[in-house]
Amino acid sequence: MTTVRAGPSGAAAGEAGKREAGKREAGKRRSLRDWLGRRLTIAPGEPLPQRRLFLLPTRFGLAWIALVVVLLLFGVNYQNSLAYALAFWLAGLAVVVLVRAWRNLLGVAVELQLPREAFAGREARLRVGLRAVRSRTAIALVLDAHETTLPCLETEATASLPWRPGQRGWQLPPTLRLETRWPLGLVRAVAWVQPTDGLLVYPAPLEAAGAEHRQLGAGLDATDFAGLRRFERGDSATRVAWKQWSRSGILTTKVFSVPPRQQLWLDYANCRGSPERRLSLLCARVLAHHRAGDRYGLRLPGRELPRGEGERQRRAALEALALFQADSTGGSDQ
Amino acid sequence: MIARGWPVRRQRPHLEVAVLADGRELGAAMLRRLVIGQCLVLALHLPWMPIWLVALALGVAAWRYFQLRQRLPPAGRLVRLGGVAVLLGALWLQYGAMHEMDGLIGLLLGVYLLKLLETHDRRGARVVVVIGIIATGVAFLHDQGIAMALGALVALAWLLQSLNWLAGAPDARRAWAETGWLLLYSAPLMVLLFLVVPRLGPLWSMPQMDRASTGLSDEVSPGDIAQLSRSDARVFRAAFDGEEPATHERYWRVYTLSGTDGQRWFRAPPDELAATLGRSEDAFVREGRRSPWVDEAAGEGRFRAELLLEPDSRPWLPSLGTPLATDSEQRYLADGTLERLAAQGSRSLLRLESSGAAPANADTAGDAWNTLLPNRANPRTRALGERLWQESGGDKHAFLVAVMAQFGESPFRYTLMPPRLNSRHRVDEFLFESRAGYCTHYASAAATLIRVAGIPARLVVGFLGGERHPDGYFTIRDYDAHAWVEVWLDGAWQRLDPTAAIAPERIELGPQAVEGSAEAFLADSPFSSLRLRELGWANRLRLRWENLEYQWQRGVIGYQREAARSFMQRLGERLEAGYGWFMAHLRSAPWKAMAWLGGTALGLAGLTWLLCQGLRQRRWRSESAMLGYLQDRLVRLGLGPVSGETPAGHLRRVAPACGPAGEALRTVAEEYEQLAYAPLNEVERSAGRRRLRQAIKGIRRHLTKRRYRAHRTGAAGDDVAS
Repeated sequence: MTTVRAGPSGAAAGEAGKREAGKREAGKRRSLRDWLGRRLTIAPGEPLPQRRLFLLPTRFGLAWIALVVVLLLFGVNYQNSLAYALAFWLAGLAVVVLVRAWRNLLGVAVELQLPREAFAGREARLRVGLRAVRSRTAIALVLDAHETTLPCLETEATASLPWRPGQRGWQLPPTLRLETRWPLGLVRAVAWVQPTDGLLVYPAPLEAAGAEHRQLGAGLDATDFAGLRRFERGDSATRVAWKQWSRSGILTTKVFSVPPRQQLWLDYANCRGSPERRLSLLCARVLAHHRAGDRYGLRLPGRELPRGEGERQRRAALEALALFQADSTGGSDQ
Repeated sequence: MIARGWPVRRQRPHLEVAVLADGRELGAAMLRRLVIGQCLVLALHLPWMPIWLVALALGVAAWRYFQLRQRLPPAGRLVRLGGVAVLLGALWLQYGAMHEMDGLIGLLLGVYLLKLLETHDRRGARVVVVIGIIATGVAFLHDQGIAMALGALVALAWLLQSLNWLAGAPDARRAWAETGWLLLYSAPLMVLLFLVVPRLGPLWSMPQMDRASTGLSDEVSPGDIAQLSRSDARVFRAAFDGEEPATHERYWRVYTLSGTDGQRWFRAPPDELAATLGRSEDAFVREGRRSPWVDEAAGEGRFRAELLLEPDSRPWLPSLGTPLATDSEQRYLADGTLERLAAQGSRSLLRLESSGAAPANADTAGDAWNTLLPNRANPRTRALGERLWQESGGDKHAFLVAVMAQFGESPFRYTLMPPRLNSRHRVDEFLFESRAGYCTHYASAAATLIRVAGIPARLVVGFLGGERHPDGYFTIRDYDAHAWVEVWLDGAWQRLDPTAAIAPERIELGPQAVEGSAEAFLADSPFSSLRLRELGWANRLRLRWENLEYQWQRGVIGYQREAARSFMQRLGERLEAGYGWFMAHLRSAPWKAMAWLGGTALGLAGLTWLLCQGLRQRRWRSESAMLGYLQDRLVRLGLGPVSGETPAGHLRRVAPACGPAGEALRTVAEEYEQLAYAPLNEVERSAGRRRLRQAIKGIRRHLTKRRYRAHRTGAAGDDVAS
């Protein structure tokens, strides 16, 4: 829903189209797998309807029923009207709590904002936005056993939840559970939100490889003295050649040059190990070379990414790695 | 800090933790709430429970306080077990045995207080609250008055509020507001359940509260100290249906004392009588709703009273004269008294029909039993009795007049503080030496004299009088206790009250009227509100409060089996009558009945509509609420906003997709931006809001789900065509 809204332009158009197709594909696979889940869940964006909202007693709720029974027996055996009244009041409270808890969750709309990028096995932050017309209290968001509680929700609130995608490729975030035990904690109102949009997860970058290539990035700062030029307004005072000024009276600025960038190919065939390890290694190198500002190309079996640099090159390389099919011998991925 | 050599203290824990994940430590704020809840619950019990429980509560709270500030370790198992041991020891010292009700309540309270020591997470806190609710219910064993009910309501509200905190309340306002709404919404449910749920009898016997402080003893001996006149504890209240007894007729019979050993008079309960006389118990007591000893043909009793009885651990019941019928099963004794089937631990209601006079049936124990006197006791009294009997020449009436005249003639005086009698011949000592006493002295002396003549006589103890409230019911208190004599004469028992001869004002005005008894009257109740009788306004206030309390006790506390059944029956009758009335009208004047029905339905519908309107008004109050409402409708059509979009931007974006409503959406966006950002004065602002409201209502008409779908499919069709 909230991923890339701005229409892709020019060369990126075809690529973006593929992305959309991949997203849909991933969504379809998942939803076929658990059709029951589809029966129970809602999609992000729509307000929670009442038939997707479930009320379950908590353990404390069951204890509450026992408490009512105990007080009722107490009232019966002692013929004590006020004990009766207390038991009935607690029973009435339990009924009212059902409605209040249900009402606390009804009509809440959930927006999922996928992380900009995610690496397999690494923690990514999934941003969840809640919207509601009435104010709500203590709504918990649960994603893969990780729970975050929003203490109160006036009209809008956001929370971010950690998500560790397991594999590379198109991945759907896991089902998000919304639940509230407000008030009193006797019942749990639960709703499940099934994300509809998948996210292209990049391979896990190999830690060791990243460290090995970090030195390639050394010299990224402009440190080599290249000469002087005439001072222009806005030049940093630290870069002004004060010595020359005192000698000549002309304000000049020192100029430093950036070390030459590397131009290189990252080749799947040159790496060793299992295919996933090779992809991890390549991923780490792509990240390292991007940081170093190098021009790099990527050669995968059946796919070659011409040399380039910058954000777009990084994304293209990572996507190629994410979508690479290890057993494909060539041409199939094109 | 470290360089200075101070021990490194751990960071003080975060003190205001509102929302807790399970397993996380409770913060100080939550603990404080639990402690306050404990104090409130404890306060309900304190008037009846030992005061050292307060010390226990303070001790536990102090431990937790210092523990949170890292000056004490968490209470280990040893400390907790020690706490329980101290509690058990103190209870044992206080009550001796633990199976008594007070001991059990003390145990419950102690455990409730000690539980705080090991309360570290949310689950533990909930356990503490639940025990608190149970303890609140148990407090109703002590008392069920208005004050107790209000106190319990406060405690319950506090406990619910702490549960709301545990459920994740973000601030105190929400926690309390939710508590208020919960209590408010559930109150009608509670009232409904209270009225409708049928009441059962006790399922099994429970340890009962020992409350024997009030009531009469079933043996009296002249010369013992009159305890009852010193207490103003209420014994029962009576409201009469129909005729009310006059002042001198308010003789409430409780026990008959037919056995005597010369010093004291004692009661012979049915089982003892049966054993002594070698007959079956059935001859002395029978269970039922009508007295088996009185002829059915005798007709209805003179007085019909509704009694609201204070709890007592003994099963006695008072009756005005002879009991004839009750609304529930009771034990009818042959001597014309009444007993409960079991002790009553709480206040109860009893409807009673009674004759107002001494019983007309002979005692099944026989005349011999009722003329029995110990041979060697009280020789001077015997001599006096025989002399009087001879003087009267065998005429029983004349003899009785002579006996009564004895008390009138001699220098007898009525006092609540008589000299103590301790000889073996008590009656002799009273009649010939001290000659000062109160009802018990006179009654036992008179009964002894009468028995000397061979006339069956017995002592009756019960109550005389009672305070009449302006609302027409009577309160009978401990100091109304009285003793008199019943004589078998002319085929019936006759009431004979020797006290009337010596102190007629006692009969007419009550014990406080007797001259010279002021110092003894209410001696044990120095702060009794009854001492304010003389003060006009204070007395009125007292009467009003007592009346309120009476209504509460009668209506709420007395709402037990019989009351509940009769209420439901009356309700059923009402409904049936209403239905019958309607059906009758339907037959005779169908149009009228239908119009009435239609009018009612219309009225209800109108009321509902107004209510809904009232709720709906909220959405038109501010421009942001209006826009939220509109956006909500758009979301339902699948036209929701995307994140980062302003409301106006959202409306403008979806406008093209909405067909005829599109233009209105743009207007709304325009108006909203004006209201939100333009510097408008109040007049322009309200005009803008009005325009906004109208535009939104217009959109609502255009943008129903059906129309929107039709428009969409139409547009899609166009796309395909082009």
